[in-house]
Amino acid sequence: MFKKILFATSATEACDHAARVAFDMARRYHAHIDVFHVLGVPTRGYSQVVVDLTTGDEVTLDDNYRDLVKEEIRSYYDHQIQTTDDFAITVTIGHPHREILRIARAEKPDIIVMGGSTGASGSYAHKKAATGSTFQRVAKAAHFPVLVINRPAASFWGGFSNVVFATDFSDAADHAFAFAFKLVKELNCEFHLFHALDITCFQTDNFHTQDTIDDQIRNAIAQIRFRYVSKMGDFKPYAMEVWEGIPFVEIVKYAREKQADLIIMAYNTRQTDDPEASIGSVAEQVILRANCPVISINRSVGKE
Amino acid sequence: MPEGTLCNRQPIQTDEALKTLLSDTGGRQYYQEMQSLPVDTPLLWETIQKTCRSRIRTWLSMCARCGMCADSCFLYRINDRDPKQVPAYKIQSTLGEILRRKGRVDNAFMQMAMETAWAKCTCCNRCGLYCPHGIDMGVMFGYLRGLLYQQGFVPWELKIGAGMHRVYHAQMDVTDADFTETFAWMVEENEEDYPGLAVPVDKVGADIMYTVNAREVKHYPEDLAEAAILFHLAGENWTVPSRGWEQTSLAMFAGDWEACKIQVESVYDAMERLKPKRMVGTECGHAHRATVVEGPYWAGRKDGLPPVESIHYVEWLAEALRTGKLKINPEKRIKEPVTLQDSCNYVRNHGLKEITREIMSYIVEPGYFIDMSPNREHNYCCGGGGGFNGIGLYRKQRNKALITKRDQILSTGAKLVIAPCHNCWDAIRDLEEEYRIGIRWSFLKPLILKMVEIPEHLKPEE
Ligand code: SF4
Ligand code: SF4
Ligand code: SF4
Repeated sequence: MFKKILFATSATEACDHAARVAFDMARRYHAHIDVFHVLGVPTRGYSQVVVDLTTGDEVTLDDNYRDLVKEEIRSYYDHQIQTTDDFAITVTIGHPHREILRIARAEKPDIIVMGGSTGASGSYAHKKAATGSTFQRVAKAAHFPVLVINRPAASFWGGFSNVVFATDFSDAADHAFAFAFKLVKELNCEFHLFHALDITCFQTDNFHTQDTIDDQIRNAIAQIRFRYVSKMGDFKPYAMEVWEGIPFVEIVKYAREKQADLIIMAYNTRQTDDPEASIGSVAEQVILRANCPVISINRSVGKE
Repeated sequence: MPEGTLCNRQPIQTDEALKTLLSDTGGRQYYQEMQSLPVDTPLLWETIQKTCRSRIRTWLSMCARCGMCADSCFLYRINDRDPKQVPAYKIQSTLGEILRRKGRVDNAFMQMAMETAWAKCTCCNRCGLYCPHGIDMGVMFGYLRGLLYQQGFVPWELKIGAGMHRVYHAQMDVTDADFTETFAWMVEENEEDYPGLAVPVDKVGADIMYTVNAREVKHYPEDLAEAAILFHLAGENWTVPSRGWEQTSLAMFAGDWEACKIQVESVYDAMERLKPKRMVGTECGHAHRATVVEGPYWAGRKDGLPPVESIHYVEWLAEALRTGKLKINPEKRIKEPVTLQDSCNYVRNHGLKEITREIMSYIVEPGYFIDMSPNREHNYCCGGGGGFNGIGLYRKQRNKALITKRDQILSTGAKLVIAPCHNCWDAIRDLEEEYRIGIRWSFLKPLILKMVEIPEHLKPEE
């Protein structure tokens, strides 16, 4: 399941929660962990000069500097690194999302782990120019599952045992299901299949009565059975539920109630007209609020 | 005194030399060595005799020092109308003086000339428009840069940039394999959304051969993806060359004439090899100047034209929108105050002023487009042209130079600035970083992609 973990980190506090989960997974599942850090973004026009994302200094990347930063990262994660002997540290320059995608494409990890707010690093203008956070851009384009930890993962005690799969019945959700099912089987987890019926679109529409909502709920249950449960063979420890409300709120509530230590869901982008909008998907809203790790899967995951 | 190990008259020829120079962070040692770099005065004078065309000599001697060009230069205005920033003064005190002294100038003089050539002129050619004799400092400073480069008096970043072109045929260390591979990656990333998306490499006889800026390959491959998607949606028969794909020329900024020729010939070779109907270049101003406007002369082409008709991205885009190859969803047009940066390199110097405005008419809801003042061929340089953006040594001067553009943008009231030129885009990005006026800036491609209609047969299956 997890033989190779790509942990993309700013090597600052912003990624501490993510680090805890990444290293725990590496130890528990005997995985190789690649600690990957983008140390600087290009600056000064066409020049080769970059701004160090941590110090704000202008630097040119040479082997010395690379080694220095690697050493800093190693000492930052000193504790965690001692729990594993199968790791590598890689540093590079460029725009973080692009470089994470680049190394993922080359290394083909089983999962990319990142902190929720790594996008907050970088210079002022870098942040402004980037349409969306590093996570958004990685989650949208990666051909691999992306696990994000934004808040202290309070209900993550180590390892996964209780997994919520939240579906929107999209293509990407099918990929997310395939991944989730493999995971719960291999790691012996409880499996909660969940759909949140979006009632926000009903509000302006008087024709939708409670009956219609109930109909849709029944419908969704049937879909869950048809699309997923039918593919689960004799797998037993599962439950399914459909709640109505605002999807991200319901997903977070449900995961909390089930004391889930992992949420798996599709990453679908939504077109918005607001040029400043940075929240593009339900997955992102869930990530902001969930107190367990969230794995997001787009529709190209699992395709080679 | 001998030449330095880093700062000398030899151009960079190998990857190793590039790495060595690059590792001298900020050019510390490089500039230190420059302090004692001797001037090869016989070489300087010999070069002038061989290369200084009569036009430049005439200009220098006919200049009446009337000062009418003063106010046309944004650097003069922004620097408290310092007489030393009057275009005529700037060139007379450098190139003019070298000629008068028959090349017998010293190290201190050359360093002064270097600062003047790279930090007091962006080669925006605006003054030439206002001088009653049409005397163009941009052209003369371009020439002076060549003399300075040959003597080793060139800013560190540009010595590297010119070296990149010599070693990689690109402004950055991007190989030909990197180029095609990055395009393939972008297809992978986008083919789900755009079924059938492909980037044909080295297709002979295509309608369009597309050329780019190496920076897109290295740091912003999204730009390549956007270009591919828009050609795809427009149904174009296009290709990219596996060699000769780099349209830009830092060598031109550096004054490395030999590298200019090497670079542009690599693109022309690709044209000869692939025989496309036309070449389209990316949204870059100086790349257009280098490949389309000046390149033919560097390559010694008698007709003064590239081997095939070569156009700027804005020309292709305007045509695609005009002919309906690309259709804009009117609902999605820009509905906020928006302004446009006229790039000197293809607006003032290549007459494309109405083309970009035509594009605005398609993509901006009527009433929301606000021109800067002045505009079109009279527009001021973004503040970072001619290599100014990338030079650490002159960062302070460059930041000051950005004020002109900052104030021009501010008085439009627009929060979105469209900048279809890499250099202008960089400068506007930097001016936001420096002065925080709360603007956003964009190339055209990402904006178009947000509002273009996807033809039914190219939509992904639901
Ligand atoms: S306007 Fe022309 S003639 Fe007058 S000082 Fe300037 S360059 Fe010389
Ligand atoms: S070319 Fe532009 S920057 Fe240079 S002197 Fe003329 S107006 Fe000033
Ligand atoms: S960067 Fe843009 S505005 Fe500035 S000189 Fe070049 S083309 Fe002109």
